Amino acid sequence: MTLSDPELIRYSRQLVMSEWSGAAQESLRSASVMVIGAGALGCPAATYLAAAGVGRIGVIDDDEVELSNLHRQPLHLTPDIGARKADNAAVKLGFLNPEVVIEPFPARLEPANAEALLAGANVVVDCSDSFATRYLVNDTCCALGIALVEAGVLGLSGLVMSIRPGESACYRCAFPIEPEPGSVPTCREAGVLGAIGGIIGSFQALEAIKLLTGVGEPLLDRILQLDGAASAPLAISTRRRQDCPACGEAAGPPAGARAVEEAV
Amino acid sequence: MSAHPRGAVAAREVQELDLRGVACPLNWVRTRLALESMPVGGRLVVLLDPGEPLESVSRSAREDGHEVELDGDLVRILRR
Repeated sequence: MTLSDPELIRYSRQLVMSEWSGAAQESLRSASVMVIGAGALGCPAATYLAAAGVGRIGVIDDDEVELSNLHRQPLHLTPDIGARKADNAAVKLGFLNPEVVIEPFPARLEPANAEALLAGANVVVDCSDSFATRYLVNDTCCALGIALVEAGVLGLSGLVMSIRPGESACYRCAFPIEPEPGSVPTCREAGVLGAIGGIIGSFQALEAIKLLTGVGEPLLDRILQLDGAASAPLAISTRRRQDCPACGEAAGPPAGARAVEEAV
Repeated sequence: MSAHPRGAVAAREVQELDLRGVACPLNWVRTRLALESMPVGGRLVVLLDPGEPLESVSRSAREDGHEVELDGDLVRILRR
C-alpha cells in the first residue's frame, strides 16, 4: 500500500513532522473510526480525523440541524438548517477530503443497535451529549475491546480521556456512579460556548490519531480537564477498578480476546 | 555462491531518487518515505535543485539522524 501523489501533497505538512512517518499515515488510511454525534464535539473531531486521512469515518447522529446549533457545530452552516446532521456532516467532510470514505448513520445509538454500529471500528470517538449514551458507548466498547475517546463539555469547561479496554481505566472506572437523569444540567439548560467544543473535540481527534498510529502518549489512565474560564488545564490520574461491571474481571474478557481463546 | 544474509546484501544497495523540479517540502516527503522503506545502513542518493531544496533536504535528513554528505547537486544519505 503506497501513498498516491495527491495524498503525499495533501498530507505533506504532517508527513514531514519528525514524530510522523509513512507507516503512521498508512495506519490512518487503513483505520476505521466511528464518531458518535455530529454536534459541538463531533464536528471538530470528525473534521480533523478526515483531514488527517483516517480511511473510513462513520458519523452517527439522528438529529436535524437547528438554528441554535450553529454557534458551536461548524460543519453545519445556515443553509443546512433542517438537514440531517449525519448526512450534512458526511457531505462537508467529503468536500474536505475525497480520499477518505465517510459513512453517515442517521440513527440514535441505543442498547439494541450499539454493538452492530460500533463493531469493526478501530477507535470510537464519543461526541454524544447524554450520560446514558456515554455509559452505553463505554460498556459496548469494553465488551467489544474497542479503543475509545470519551469527552464532555458544558459552559466554558470540558474534559477528555482515552480508554483501552482491559488495559486502562474505562469511563465507568473513572466515573462509577451514573448520574440520575435530570440531575446534571444539559447543554440546553446550562449552555456551552462553541470554542470549548472546538478545543475538546479537536483534542479527541488528536487522541484517536495517537491511539491509531502509536505516535505520542494517549490520555490513558488520565483525564484532562480544562477550565476554559481560568485557562487552566488539569490532568487527573485515574485507574482501573477490578470490580468494574464494564471492564473488570467480573465482566469477562472483551469479545476480541474471547474469539482468540475460542480459536485456540 | 554468496553466503551473505539477505539483510547484509540489502544494506549495500544504493537507491537513487531524482527530485529535480520537486518543490519543498514534497522533495523531503519523498526522500523520507524512501529512507523509511530501506534497511538501516542502506544508501540513498538524491538529486535535487540547488538552493533551498538541496539545503533543506540535507538539513532535514541530518535532523532525522541520518548521515548526510553534500556532493554538488547530489545529497548522499546513509540511512540510520
